[in-house]
Amino acid sequence: MVYTHKSPALLVIGLAILLWGWLNQSGSLDGMQAWLHPGAYKEHKQAVDKHAADAKAAVDKAAAEGKPAPEAKPAKPSKFDDLKAGQTRLAWILGGIFAAVGVLVLLLPAKEGHLDYFVGVAPGMAFIVGIAVGVRWILDPMFANWGKAAAPTLGWDFAKIMNLNYVVLGIVIGMVIVNLLRIPAWAANGVRTARLFLKTGVVLLGTLYSAAELAQLGALSVVMIGIFVLGSVWLVLLAGPRMGASNSMTGVLSSGVGVCGVSAAVAASPVVNAKAVDIAFTLGTILLWGVLCMFTFPTIGQLLGMGPVQFGAWAGTGILNSAQVAGAALAFDPHGIETLKVAEIFNITRVLFLPIIVVWLAAWYVKREAGAQKVDLGKVLVAKFPVFVLGFLFMFLLSTLGLFAPPGHYQGKYFSSEQVKEDKLLKEKELAALQAALPKLAKAEESKAMQELIANRKLTSREQDHVLKGVAKAAKDDKALKDAIGAANKAAWHSSKIISAFRDWIAWLFAIGLTGLGMQITVASIKQAGGKPLIIGSVVGAIKAIGSLIVVLLFVKEFV
Amino acid sequence: MSFVPGTLLLAHHGTDGAKRAEAQAFALASPGRTRIVHLYVVPEFWAGMQGDDWLNNAWTRDAFAVHVERQLDAEATTEVDGLAARCLSRGFACEALIRFGEPAECLLAAAREVRPELVVIGPPRPKGVEGYRSRMDLEKLARGLAAPLLVAR
Repeated sequence: MVYTHKSPALLVIGLAILLWGWLNQSGSLDGMQAWLHPGAYKEHKQAVDKHAADAKAAVDKAAAEGKPAPEAKPAKPSKFDDLKAGQTRLAWILGGIFAAVGVLVLLLPAKEGHLDYFVGVAPGMAFIVGIAVGVRWILDPMFANWGKAAAPTLGWDFAKIMNLNYVVLGIVIGMVIVNLLRIPAWAANGVRTARLFLKTGVVLLGTLYSAAELAQLGALSVVMIGIFVLGSVWLVLLAGPRMGASNSMTGVLSSGVGVCGVSAAVAASPVVNAKAVDIAFTLGTILLWGVLCMFTFPTIGQLLGMGPVQFGAWAGTGILNSAQVAGAALAFDPHGIETLKVAEIFNITRVLFLPIIVVWLAAWYVKREAGAQKVDLGKVLVAKFPVFVLGFLFMFLLSTLGLFAPPGHYQGKYFSSEQVKEDKLLKEKELAALQAALPKLAKAEESKAMQELIANRKLTSREQDHVLKGVAKAAKDDKALKDAIGAANKAAWHSSKIISAFRDWIAWLFAIGLTGLGMQITVASIKQAGGKPLIIGSVVGAIKAIGSLIVVLLFVKEFV
Repeated sequence: MSFVPGTLLLAHHGTDGAKRAEAQAFALASPGRTRIVHLYVVPEFWAGMQGDDWLNNAWTRDAFAVHVERQLDAEATTEVDGLAARCLSRGFACEALIRFGEPAECLLAAAREVRPELVVIGPPRPKGVEGYRSRMDLEKLARGLAAPLLVAR
């Protein structure tokens, strides 16, 4: 079979991305970029004006003193400049690769082989990458602007409340393409590589955890997942036979609803000899719930004022389908990946539970179904083991050994007094802003954290940092206070360049992967939700979502 | 004089409605004269039934795909063999066409292929009755079919 479609599509995508990079570099898109990023542009304009005024003042002063005009120093790149430079750099890399492979697609003879296999997926990969790039660079800031512009009229920021950021928009566009427009034939093979992007993202996530973080999140996830996964599997196994569902239907539903959604149902179906109708009803139900949860969980999380740990723990436990866990976590917290970090630990724990649950279901099915074939437990455990988790652990190990960041980076060493240099301590102006805000603080823990910050001129613990982050978030109009807390936070948290790059790449990998995954959610499959799986799945899914929310709100502290 | 079709295209996939279509087809057919062509459609939604699974490895996904194919094949074989046996017992010639896709499009394609004198299908499934959500698009059939269409009640 020849996989490569002779189509100029890949070349066109490559050239379009290159064009964006060139226009961006030449400044032709500055007007558009200024409209897309008004905040960054305003700061940039102020910095440029100030630089020009300073330069003029220096020239005037030199002229008055009869000295030669001083050499003009280049202005420090602003956030706006960095943003443009980052886009340009990525556009050159991606556009260059796509255009080069695009030429190869057109020139290569249609012949079976390894080269054809790898080249054949490139157009589809470029398709989802191109959409993710367009969404992240254009649609995401556009919706953010529209949300802010409509807020005075509507009374609420629809883009923020409805989480219309690059993750949700990417998934929605993916779903629209597959359901309304159809995936082009030249892209069909490559779109399936979305899984590769997501798994690579999870592997790279391993670089972001400290040993203490991983141990604490791991323990929390084992407890939460243990209770809710085993609980919901047990509940479905109990309810299924009582509602007259067949053993195979009950088996496949319990894995899907209990463990990690579609992936678990896919893994368990052959083991419990699921009938076609069992599979259709179950997967339809899980996909329906997954999509609903992905849109509702982040909004509920925002409304309840949840933080990254609470929301990550809730989404990682309560959302039936694992793909939507990542989607909801990034939708909730798109510009940092703290929530994703927490949610993915829960996802990984769920996946590690999967082989055990499949073995349990196999034993349950064989016991209840006369003539059912026994399965080789060892074979099942090996076959279902998620190998990419080993990659995650390997990256975590490398990171812990200090390969990507200085030793002690994760332990919060910059909270200690020795590690914060004098010039990083808060200045008088910043301390004055904190003093002014202190009487307005309502909670005792906030006052205490603020008083300590004023006394020490730096943050001394992660708990204090977390409390003051909340204060800064609530201080909508007090820019001086926000800046002061931001400066203290910046002094305490040093991020290595490699780790920052990893964070950026992880966000990209998930954005691309979830856009591609959106292209695999068909309305036709969701419409199959029905029969007893819909009733049992909905009841157990609701219990799991509400139960885990209550547990998280009651027992999970925001700080880990 | 009643109408007796030479070639009758019967869309049948084992539902109650399909059984009514089968009864109608048998009532109109004549042993020795009518050839019943059984169209069995595997709905296209199965192509997307791996959904957004991303955690499994290729081995597990392949095992699932093979399992689903076997299940669908077993269902199709049961229906095709069952109808063939019932036709045989009544003296009708019977042959089967198994197609994958959107039901109405498959029926139109089959009609172009076998050129039936009559097409018989079952009524739409009543609301609330369990089954796959894969309906026959009657408007598409009405516009595209060259042969008369009988919807059994």
